[in-house]
Amino acid sequence: MTGSPILSDGGAVKRALRLFLCKAVWLVAVILVGGLFGATLVRYGPGYGVDERELDPRLSQASVEALRGQHHQNASLLSYYGHYLKSAVHGDFGTSESTQRPISELIHQRLPVTARAVLLGMLSAWSLALFLAMLGQFLRGWIFEVCSTLLTGFLLALPSTVIALLFVYFRAPVFLAVACVTFPKLFRFIHNLLVEAYEQPHVLAARARGIGPVRIFLRHVLAFAAPALFALVGVSLSLAFGAAIPIEALTDSPGIGQLAWFAAINRDLPLVVNLTLLVTLVTVAGNSLADYSGQLAARAS
Amino acid sequence: MSAPKSLRLISAFLLCVIFLLALGANFIAPYSYAKQFRDAPAAAPSAAHLFGTDALGRDEFSRLLYGTRVSLLLAPAAALLSTLIAGILGGLAGFLGGWWERAILASADLLMALPLLFVLLALRATLPLDVAPLISAMATFLILSLLGWPSSLRVIWAAARNIRESDFLLLARSSGSSPLRIIARQILPNLRPVLAAQFWVNIPVFILAEATLSMLGLGVMEPLPSWGNLLRGLENPSAFHANPWTIAPLILLILVVFCFQFILPSREDFA
Amino acid sequence: MLRKLRLLGVLTVFGAAAAASAQAQSGGVLHFCLHGEPKTFNPILVDDEAAENVRYLTGGVLIRLNRQSQALEPGLATSWHISKDGRMIAFQLRKGLRFSDGTPFTSEDVAYTIKSLMDPQLHSPTGDSFRSGEGAVEILTPTPDTVSITFPAPVAGLERLFDQVAMMSAHSPKKEMAVLGPFYISDYKAGSYVELARNPNYWKHDAQGRALPYLDGIHLDIQRNRDIELLRFERGELQLINRLDAESYKRLSKDSSGTPRNAGTGLDSDFLWFNQSPNAPIADPRKSWFRTTEFRRAVSSAINREDISRIVFDGHAKPAMGPISPANHFWFNSAIPAPKYDPQGALKLLAQAGFRFANDELRDKSGNRVEFTLVTNSGNAVREKMASMIQQDLSEIGIKVSIVTLDFPSLIERMTRTFDYDACLLGLVNTDLDPNGQMTVWLSSGENHQWNPGQKTPATAWEAELDKLMHEQATALADKDRKKAFDQAQQIIYEQQPYIYLVNRDVLTAFSPAVQGAAPTVLTPPAFWNADVLQLAASPQQGAHK
Repeated sequence: MTGSPILSDGGAVKRALRLFLCKAVWLVAVILVGGLFGATLVRYGPGYGVDERELDPRLSQASVEALRGQHHQNASLLSYYGHYLKSAVHGDFGTSESTQRPISELIHQRLPVTARAVLLGMLSAWSLALFLAMLGQFLRGWIFEVCSTLLTGFLLALPSTVIALLFVYFRAPVFLAVACVTFPKLFRFIHNLLVEAYEQPHVLAARARGIGPVRIFLRHVLAFAAPALFALVGVSLSLAFGAAIPIEALTDSPGIGQLAWFAAINRDLPLVVNLTLLVTLVTVAGNSLADYSGQLAARAS
Repeated sequence: MSAPKSLRLISAFLLCVIFLLALGANFIAPYSYAKQFRDAPAAAPSAAHLFGTDALGRDEFSRLLYGTRVSLLLAPAAALLSTLIAGILGGLAGFLGGWWERAILASADLLMALPLLFVLLALRATLPLDVAPLISAMATFLILSLLGWPSSLRVIWAAARNIRESDFLLLARSSGSSPLRIIARQILPNLRPVLAAQFWVNIPVFILAEATLSMLGLGVMEPLPSWGNLLRGLENPSAFHANPWTIAPLILLILVVFCFQFILPSREDFA
Repeated sequence: MLRKLRLLGVLTVFGAAAAASAQAQSGGVLHFCLHGEPKTFNPILVDDEAAENVRYLTGGVLIRLNRQSQALEPGLATSWHISKDGRMIAFQLRKGLRFSDGTPFTSEDVAYTIKSLMDPQLHSPTGDSFRSGEGAVEILTPTPDTVSITFPAPVAGLERLFDQVAMMSAHSPKKEMAVLGPFYISDYKAGSYVELARNPNYWKHDAQGRALPYLDGIHLDIQRNRDIELLRFERGELQLINRLDAESYKRLSKDSSGTPRNAGTGLDSDFLWFNQSPNAPIADPRKSWFRTTEFRRAVSSAINREDISRIVFDGHAKPAMGPISPANHFWFNSAIPAPKYDPQGALKLLAQAGFRFANDELRDKSGNRVEFTLVTNSGNAVREKMASMIQQDLSEIGIKVSIVTLDFPSLIERMTRTFDYDACLLGLVNTDLDPNGQMTVWLSSGENHQWNPGQKTPATAWEAELDKLMHEQATALADKDRKKAFDQAQQIIYEQQPYIYLVNRDVLTAFSPAVQGAAPTVLTPPAFWNADVLQLAASPQQGAHK
């Protein structure tokens, strides 16, 4: 997406507002298309419209036929999606076919669990990554390099399913598993960013003038790295959210991830549509924040 | 973060050794990966079975060798395809800009937002039943590569955009070069380092993705082993206590991914 | 002074009695898991395992099947009788009973429940079990404690079916949440837990006259992951596991965190079948193989069931040969021979059908290599292991088997819609002792007649014979006539092998040492069928964990 004009006067403010609105409309369009994609996958994918209950030998022929007929109301995907959007605007997100519960209720119950795991996971990962990256700049030795490489390499090399299994076995909180998946990538990027920042001419000049390391870090290094770090917040949000989904499914944590897995396995069309919209929203919002911050950084430099 | 040269050499050497062992599985493995020794299920390591046997009495060492072959040969192929797709689309988005850029980035965002596990479930279920396990393994990696390109796209797009705004490209345009010539002579050669970096980054990503899928029961089909379905043995702590060698695939996976990280070009971007 | 002493004595006696009674009623809160979210708490709509478990613990039924003796016992009804034509059943209800909210229980509630259950729009498996013919059900309530129900046609095993029908109140403002069972639902957090509290109005008392249940309540965590359930049990957070797999049983046997119990051979079976549907989009040689009786019998003989029991189930399974497990005392046909692993016998049968075995390959009359694909559901490690063992066994007689695992909806679609598969490996969870509950499996027109469902007319003579025998057992009034007909049906199933039965799994459960009164059984629910008499030990070391 293209950059924003410099905000220097009232006309520029109007232009910025118009651009912001255009971007918002574009984002909404992308999110809606994402929901339609998800709906199409479920509707036309194998296994849609079948119900495990059909295999119950106690059910009569009429009951089996009634079960099979339940899914025919979703026959036209576009009209289903249109009807869904119309209801969603009024706050009715439909009913889950597999649990027979209002989807708004399901999301209301589960989103805080995932939000907690994602936010605490991100906080933990960011705290550790920033701390280690800053420590690395102050220590600056091969021992630190090797240790940090080994730690991040080890965590990167572990499949998220193995991490989830370990956390199941040790009954550790889910957010730590999310942090384990997010931390190594964050650390590497932040470390590289700080290294680049320290190599900037103005930082070298500050060091030559004898300014203390803490002041250099706060006044010069962070100022340079801030836009990229803000961009990283957006991307790490998408990453943490993406990591939370399989981890929740494996650790049986009652969050959105487990619900998404359950919806996929059961071909629950209304639930998949809603969750796809939610995941698309988080992903697109995260990436947009990253893009915008990146543009700010480019203008600032 | 760049690794010292000696470390990169050691990593490359280790990878070559593991690669060669995997290629030579037919000659090195003492047994077929499917043969069941039913008088010795879940056996501890012994002279007959170096790493013991699994729950069905299959030799773990043989399965590890054949599993390494599947994971280590197919992952680079998938990484290559994924990088090529990301390279073409990212290059177009960065070079052309405007609506092309928006459409391609939006497509990438959409693909990343899709419930990947469900997409894999659905695609796998549409495969014909009577395909050989190796073909289904290749299909799994193919699907991963077709779905995995968005993660590399933004890096390549950013690099292509920088090239677009560079002076030498402006010079080439102003001198009347056609777009095709500009792409072939200016864009691609300058994108090569980024593409190479993404290729190396993607190999361990696909190895891990296959491992994750197989642990969820969506990966390579039995009896063909892969690191992922070998790692399913870790789901049962009793089996691990009875035979700690169950962890061998995980150690090998970590070692290989480590090695790939050490031989990566320096200053890889966050992807 | 003497008067004061007497008063003190009386007070002491009463105090001790109250304390003893309080101790008996203070049985603690039992913690265990449901393996899924209950879809409903309405007892007549229940069709998933989690909801059935909740229904069992909260529902009061007219007739209860004793899970241990497999005999029918009075429940809310003190007695009942069935008319000679098998269409009418009349109950004498217990007097003075109340629902958990205090609403009186009368014959009106029975009428309301049955009427709701038999609503044709409901499509409930419990209701469908009662449907025997066209026409409405007639319910008469001459007095508040008598009720008679007349069905349009005889219902086989009628009285036993009432074990699944939990009575609902016609008048209570709490609707289906007012219950007659030992517990009622006091709290529910979707995705997390269901909390059951002791029903103070529960009608049952023990032999000493103490009110049941002993437990104060039951806390049911919703936990799909069995590994987490096992870990929690080992840590003392849970006091029982209703269904344990063989691996977990082995692990618990080694540590002292709990007592794993094997209740014996269960009713469930695992089996495979070949697709014999004429609409199946499979190549012709395969269709003709699968329809050949000798082929199916040869495959059955070539499978080593003992190895499957020993290796996959760690010995906690028995080779199976028919649809009825030996655990089903009355209906099991003991005349059917035990399965024998006989690959040489298998090759002889195949030779009779024109197959040739040479160079480790089996070929049919036309020289086609015999191979097929075996599908099963993904994520089920036990079935995947069984499939691998079957693959190896059949390779010994030259048959090449490829294994494909699919997610359940995709598998069901292939089984019931597209018929695009060769052979399928699945299992049947049998909650019903009476074979009448399997009518749609054995009737050729049945939707669950998996190898060739929904036939307009029987495709083979033996299926026509099966149809006849199943109708006979469904309409016969005397149990011995029904047994005779179904024994013959089992004999046909054994001879024709439309389902190749593999094993009957043992029912494995686990209890914490704190649980008193545990007596696991093979019928569902195996571990807590007698929840009203379970107690938790009072000592701190063995007490319940919150």
